[in-house]
Amino acid sequence: MLKSQKHVFWEALLVTTLIFIVGIFLGNMLEKNRVEKIDEYYAQSEISLMDILIFQDIVKANETSCEILIKSNLEFADKIYNEALILSKYNNQQLTEGAELAQKRYSLLRTLLWMNVIKTQKTCEENFNSVIYLYQINPKDLTIKAEQKVFSKVLEDLKNEYANNIILIPIAVDESFISLNSLIENHEIEKLPAIIINDRIITEIPTKEELKKYMKN
Amino acid sequence: MDFLTSCYFVFTFIGLYYLSLFTLIYLHNFKHIYDWKKPKKEYELSIVIPCYNGADGIEKTIRQLSESDYPGLKKIIVVDDCSTDNSYEIMKECEKKYKKLLVVQTPKNTGNAAGAKNYGASFVETELIGFSDDDAYPNKDAISKMVGFFNNPKVGAVTSRVLVQNRNKFISKVQSIEYKLIAFTRKLFGFIDAIYVTNGPLSIYRNEIFKEIKGFDEKNLTEDIEITWNILSRGWKVHISMLATVYTTAPEKFKIWAKQRLRWNAGGIQTILKYKKEFLRKGMIGWFIFPYFVSAWILGIFGLGLLTYRITRYLLTQYLSTTYSIGAETAILRMNDIAFSPSVLFFFGITFLTLGILFNLNALAHSRKESEHFKKENVFDLIIYMFVYLLLYPIILIASLYKFARKDYSW
Repeated sequence: MLKSQKHVFWEALLVTTLIFIVGIFLGNMLEKNRVEKIDEYYAQSEISLMDILIFQDIVKANETSCEILIKSNLEFADKIYNEALILSKYNNQQLTEGAELAQKRYSLLRTLLWMNVIKTQKTCEENFNSVIYLYQINPKDLTIKAEQKVFSKVLEDLKNEYANNIILIPIAVDESFISLNSLIENHEIEKLPAIIINDRIITEIPTKEELKKYMKN
Repeated sequence: MDFLTSCYFVFTFIGLYYLSLFTLIYLHNFKHIYDWKKPKKEYELSIVIPCYNGADGIEKTIRQLSESDYPGLKKIIVVDDCSTDNSYEIMKECEKKYKKLLVVQTPKNTGNAAGAKNYGASFVETELIGFSDDDAYPNKDAISKMVGFFNNPKVGAVTSRVLVQNRNKFISKVQSIEYKLIAFTRKLFGFIDAIYVTNGPLSIYRNEIFKEIKGFDEKNLTEDIEITWNILSRGWKVHISMLATVYTTAPEKFKIWAKQRLRWNAGGIQTILKYKKEFLRKGMIGWFIFPYFVSAWILGIFGLGLLTYRITRYLLTQYLSTTYSIGAETAILRMNDIAFSPSVLFFFGITFLTLGILFNLNALAHSRKESEHFKKENVFDLIIYMFVYLLLYPIILIASLYKFARKDYSW
């Protein structure tokens, strides 16, 4: 018969390891590319937020241009909302921590925006609608996972109806954020997901019509 | 990296390893797959056919074997295991027609094929002893394409390629694909001395070894697997001749198919436990066959568990979100829900699947080239084989473990 072919065991191990290394390398490249894209969005959003924050101080000092400030907040929130939709696609089964870190940075940025909205409401005393959506990233509990899906859909309906006249900020809650947890505590929110719509807290799945009742104008 | 992701990686790695191994063996040996050797001398051979209620096929089996072109075939011994149908009468009629045929009957029903085979073997004195089934139909040249492998004094057993005779029902068509792939991969195993079963439809052994190991283990549900492990553990080699084609009747009913597979798997477990001391100890049986069997089973069962877990979670989430969506008067499905963002695991899965499909297609194409009886496979049957039929394996395996745990050793 044919001579010994035991060497194929090592060859197969080598081939498999090579395929694996190439796969992991390509996978990392793919994720890196995504994280870079998120970072780009993030950098732009960070600049826009800084701009709004500075403008907020100017408005506070001069007590003018509230209309522009609210408009800026609305536009920025709109941008943030659209980016959140893109980001949510990259949530599952990531190998590196890049995407997770980007999520966290975004959460903080959105928290900053939320605080700014609170300040703007006090500074300008004008009527505009703010909706803060607090949710968990990849919850293990299936009920919460399903609830969050429906919360998102109802809010999307609301956003579609009110277009740019609503500040809708989705924030992924991370237990390690002191600032965000403090805000949650201040609002006496005990369970997630939750919606804070013009200072009213909703923790049960609402319909769009129910949410509309709490909207101004 | 979470636990599930780690599991996916381990699964993919082991799966890819086996696939690479088979592919490399194929690439090294594809010119020798259909090799056979002319016998250096005319080895004398007797074939034993156990028969229990095999009236439908026994006459054809006898005829096919009697028409064998191998001149060294001295005797065909048909053992009636106290059939309750008219098998014995048919055999006796055949005995008048075929000179080489000897019909014997066990004193009482042995309850399994191994018992009848051993009984028939007691009438054999030739250098080689072969076994066939009462529903197996070897080609005219099957035996002559096998015996030449015994030129090598280290070869203890030679087996054949089994194909499915009845391909008129869907379940048997799918099994036809399975049998071709089994024969092909078994041949690849042969190149690394790792053939772990000498099939029931047609296998030949050196009689001295057969006697030394005291024949088939009558307590084992798969005596053909057990005898092969026994032969291998004693340092003998086992080969398969791809040109030795034998046709068998595959089950046409799911219930019979499941029963047959339960028996095969439970017998496999019996064999593994019987030879557990060989694990990582002696030759290919300890270093490859044993770990291959065990890892394939663990992966199969664990993989099924993982798949069930993921599907159940997905379905439950879909059910809950649908119920909630109806309550919230919002759309059940949106474009965002079906947005697809593949991860590296997805690409690994796709690569593995593609390579697996290519390997199987190549195996089938190879069979087509060499076999005159090969019928082109239907694409639909092939899809069902790969995506449905193979998924039944782990379920059968779990049921077999249950059968084994209950000590249900019935046929």
